[in-house]
Amino acid sequence: MMLLGLVGIALVVLGPWVFGTYLLNILIKAFFFAIVAITVDLLWGYTGYLTFGQSAFFGIGAYAAGLVFAHAGFTMLSALAALGLAVAGTALIGALVGWLSFYRGASPFFATVISLVLPIVLTQLLLSGGAWTGSSSGLTGYETFELPLEAWYWIAGTALALVALLGSLVVRSDAGQVLKAIRDNESRCTYLGIRTSRVKIVLLVATAVVAGLAGFGYGSFSGVVAPELSGFVLGTEFIIWVALGGRGTLWGPLLGAVLISVASAYLSSSMPFVWQLVLGCAFVVVIVLLPQGLMPLLIRPLRRGIAGEPALVDRAVRALVEQDAAQALVMEGVAKQYGHLKVLQGIDLTADGGQLAGLIGPNGAGKTTLMRCMSDGSERTAGVVRLCGHDIRTLPPEQCVRFGLGRKFQNANIFDTLTVAACLRIAGSVRERPALFACSPVLAVPSYALEVLRVTGLAGKLSAVAKDLSHGEQQALELAMVLTLEPKIVLLDEPTAGLTKTERTQIGSILSSLALRHGLCCLLVEHDLDFVHEIATRIVVLHQGRIAMQGSFEDVAHSELVKTIYAGSTHAAQEAA
Amino acid sequence: MMQALLQLKDVSSGYKASLVLRKLSLSVASGEAVAVLGKNGMGKSTLLKTIMGYLPKASGTVHVGGQDITRLGPHRVARKGIAYAAQEHALFTELSIRDNLRLGLAKESVFDERFAEIEPVFPVFKTRLKQFAGTLSGGEQKMLLVARALMMRPSIVLLDEITEGLQPSVIERLAEALLGERRKRGTTMLLIEQNVPFALKVADRYLVLKQGEIVDEGSAKAATAAQRIFDHLRV
Repeated sequence: MMLLGLVGIALVVLGPWVFGTYLLNILIKAFFFAIVAITVDLLWGYTGYLTFGQSAFFGIGAYAAGLVFAHAGFTMLSALAALGLAVAGTALIGALVGWLSFYRGASPFFATVISLVLPIVLTQLLLSGGAWTGSSSGLTGYETFELPLEAWYWIAGTALALVALLGSLVVRSDAGQVLKAIRDNESRCTYLGIRTSRVKIVLLVATAVVAGLAGFGYGSFSGVVAPELSGFVLGTEFIIWVALGGRGTLWGPLLGAVLISVASAYLSSSMPFVWQLVLGCAFVVVIVLLPQGLMPLLIRPLRRGIAGEPALVDRAVRALVEQDAAQALVMEGVAKQYGHLKVLQGIDLTADGGQLAGLIGPNGAGKTTLMRCMSDGSERTAGVVRLCGHDIRTLPPEQCVRFGLGRKFQNANIFDTLTVAACLRIAGSVRERPALFACSPVLAVPSYALEVLRVTGLAGKLSAVAKDLSHGEQQALELAMVLTLEPKIVLLDEPTAGLTKTERTQIGSILSSLALRHGLCCLLVEHDLDFVHEIATRIVVLHQGRIAMQGSFEDVAHSELVKTIYAGSTHAAQEAA
Repeated sequence: MMQALLQLKDVSSGYKASLVLRKLSLSVASGEAVAVLGKNGMGKSTLLKTIMGYLPKASGTVHVGGQDITRLGPHRVARKGIAYAAQEHALFTELSIRDNLRLGLAKESVFDERFAEIEPVFPVFKTRLKQFAGTLSGGEQKMLLVARALMMRPSIVLLDEITEGLQPSVIERLAEALLGERRKRGTTMLLIEQNVPFALKVADRYLVLKQGEIVDEGSAKAATAAQRIFDHLRV
């Protein structure tokens, strides 16, 4: 990668002496396009937001130059104004589109549709602008910066190098892992307290401004702007370049954009129709044979293992505030209905810090739904939920997490393509903001999370990719991630499913120390009554959506109700013996 | 010795560069039930995924009833009469319970008869056939997976931790149902379990897998079986 960077820098510096005038012209434009391709890769390859709309921001930047220079003439002042217009316009529209695309509950599909609509609407506006925008022929012949071709080449090359460098620093950094985490599993991100909508909007605004600046450069250099520069055909071409080069690699899209732009400049004039066909075929071949694009194929042999794994260290746990511990969880009259189906009704439940309540009940009694109602304000249909004294109203999970909640899901809910270390880093990001351009050499997790990692052997597998872990290891990883949040209330939905008896015992002792030693309020859904007996301080029985019983293990386990609806004959016989 | 219905010979497989199964050989006789136990990450689920053809084999062969299925994809393996209840993500959450069950069957006409047979084991489904599978609770989804596999009347059924998340009384009923299935149809079973008592109750023979190799095996009915397995899982 270093070598590739050096070759790139050498080409940028020496270009004017090596390349002819025609090629320099082509390359300057290609560099501006490549900048946009990098922003598309950040949004699509890394964050999972498929966008056709980056061309719109490119077009806004280009037209900012074209419109100002054509109508106000070119002066230093108007140049500054045009630049300001490019930045402000793209930031504003980026924020608006981001807000529309990523509001809570919007689907990824919806966001992509919005990204398609944006360039189409913008092109229509430009076409209907009459003489002011030049309509379909665009604006030409305006005065612009009087710079020699070499200077433009260096400016465009340096801008591209800078964007590529910043981009690669960001995606490698700890903060960059958050983007991949959003791509892998957005719901898990929100349950780690990450405001994913906000992250995506900020990213979109930043990439919109970068694309706008590239457009401004393009419009200033070429002296021609046309509606095609903001159209969705160009937006789609960016997608193709990124896919061909290799999405999620940054360098792939960069090379893809430059090489295809140059090739099409030479070939499209000599064989205009065949060239489109060739490009189309290449796209199909790459998608079928190399779904990762060309770049990974080229660099795989060069890759010498990923950067060293961080050192695990113990982080001091924050002291619990007194009022948090008392009545950590309060539910009053909580109900949940799906249409006519009443899943929960009249749930009144309180739990204090230092308690480990075992929640048992037949399959389908509403245990998981109950946990969902505690952790997402939009879930319940009636009633009040308070976490550490905060009414959760209809607040989203990320806010509930910030009130002190941590939720372990029933199925291992982790970030598939990230390493164990990155998963844990992201889990700690609410406590410790991840660095934007750097990777921290240490990974600090609270002592009880560290304990889970050690017991299950995950501490020795920090650089393993999460999806290659076994089912049980994934469960343990998720538990460690939730504990890294340092929650005050922990919801555990079958945390030991898929673990061996020995591991269960070890995890069990960690869970009971969470409540007894660290004063956390734990709620545990579990079917193994012996396990519950060992660690729970009290039992809550849920049956057909209502709390059927509460009390000590002895009271509950010996009740007729639990024996008949739940435990089955073996356990009843064991109890009797 | 009965004829081996399922035979693996020197099978190695895994994910990308890392091999999880190492030259594993295993033969399961027709009508036999074998429980595979082991700690996490030892290759238990990988074994089933490899048999089904979800993972390519790096080496070795798999035969079913004398036919080579080593290179077949999952749908072709399933057509050889092998049903697979996977650990996760194996339901069509946007389809009804009935449609999920129906998709395992070759034709509609046998649905009622087959459903009547599994209904006593999973009474929860009887009145809820039209409900979306995605709205079932975690444990109920698990039951649906097993019900679908059994309704296919497979000659071999592969079960991946089917007791996970089930209430004790359902686990008990499930064990009876599997034993009944074996008595009635002689179904061959390969089951992966963390629940050792359940596994030993259903199976004839147990295997312990460690680092992708079989390190111990024996009769599930031997008095020492549970203790030996426990010793393996502890270290």
